[in-house]
Amino acid sequence: MTKHERIAVSVIILFGLVVFLVGTDGFQAFTTEQARTNQLIKEQPQVPNVELEDSKSRTYSIEELQQNKYLFITFMYTNCATVCPQLERNMQEVYQQLPVSMIKDDIQFLSISFDTEHDDPETLEKYRSYFDSDGETWRMARINDQEELTSLLDQLGVIVIPDDYGNFQHNTAFYLVDKDGYLIDVMDYTEIDQAVERIKSVIGGDSA
Amino acid sequence: MKQTRYGLLLFIFLILPPVADLLESIMIFHMHTQMPLIVFAGFLMTPFFQKKFPNFFMKWNRSGIPGILLVILIWSYWQIPRAMDDALTHSHVEIFKFISLPFLAGIPLRDSWRKIKNNGQFIFLVYLLATLIVTGFLYIWVDEQICNNYLIIEQQTLGWGSLAMAACLLLYLVYRQFEKDEGV
Repeated sequence: MTKHERIAVSVIILFGLVVFLVGTDGFQAFTTEQARTNQLIKEQPQVPNVELEDSKSRTYSIEELQQNKYLFITFMYTNCATVCPQLERNMQEVYQQLPVSMIKDDIQFLSISFDTEHDDPETLEKYRSYFDSDGETWRMARINDQEELTSLLDQLGVIVIPDDYGNFQHNTAFYLVDKDGYLIDVMDYTEIDQAVERIKSVIGGDSA
Repeated sequence: MKQTRYGLLLFIFLILPPVADLLESIMIFHMHTQMPLIVFAGFLMTPFFQKKFPNFFMKWNRSGIPGILLVILIWSYWQIPRAMDDALTHSHVEIFKFISLPFLAGIPLRDSWRKIKNNGQFIFLVYLLATLIVTGFLYIWVDEQICNNYLIIEQQTLGWGSLAMAACLLLYLVYRQFEKDEGV
């Protein structure tokens, strides 16, 4: 290689490095999902105060539901045969592993369906029973206003793609929202113990 | 110069928004049709640039190594699942795709191809084979959705597509070796 070529190689390697660095947020995120999660945890956006309709046909806003509690949210739809049952099953595990006092006083569980059309209160009521959700400390709800639903999904980076068979493909995670309505963590829904520890430490740190 | 014109036409055709949208709407077309075709467009346009700037290529890419290195880096970047997603959601990444693939992969690939000779070509083809096999298995065996813009079923189709291409490339590599042996 000539001197010029050595310069060219150095420039190219540097350029390639910059492209990779920028493209992966400094080798932090190789998939959009990772990037999205990192971004959310950094930004801690405020959760839009949307109007919910739960499995008992009660309607209230997120703020009204929260009442000085943390929120533990998942997004699902009841027709889902793949990841949602697993997600809700894991949510149930988290729910059961937390101390009863915490469930009572400190944290509200909420499963939000994005299939507004199909998931009416009766359907949600039935779905709720599969996971031993009591419908109070763990509620399942839909958002009837399409605009509000979209804004919530956007704000939390939930991407929902309808497929040709009436199903939806969507990304899945546990969302933890603080008492003031700000998102504080997005957690891997397969890491139940980690989620439990995280919740305990957040709530514990708060009351201490 | 005819080639250059065809290359330019192909390039313009591919970046027309309806054509780009159509190819990008299906994952395997995005990766195995649109991206290689854009590289190919650059490939066709190379003689124009070689004639226009003969010194540039002689001076900076005499052995072909800097050129092929650039090709490898650019192509590797576009193998990252996120790059494909970003191209769909951010227009500046989409623009970068339409510039980097023809001009930073297609052109240096053609300029370097003869210069790196048989051994260099062999190494480059093995690199291509490796990326096809790795991404192929990745897309088939990972149950999670790797690209947020595409369905898992599309992801698996792409995985099998990559493995099929890898098989073809492997055949070609074997053929090349035999041809070389005959030649000696």
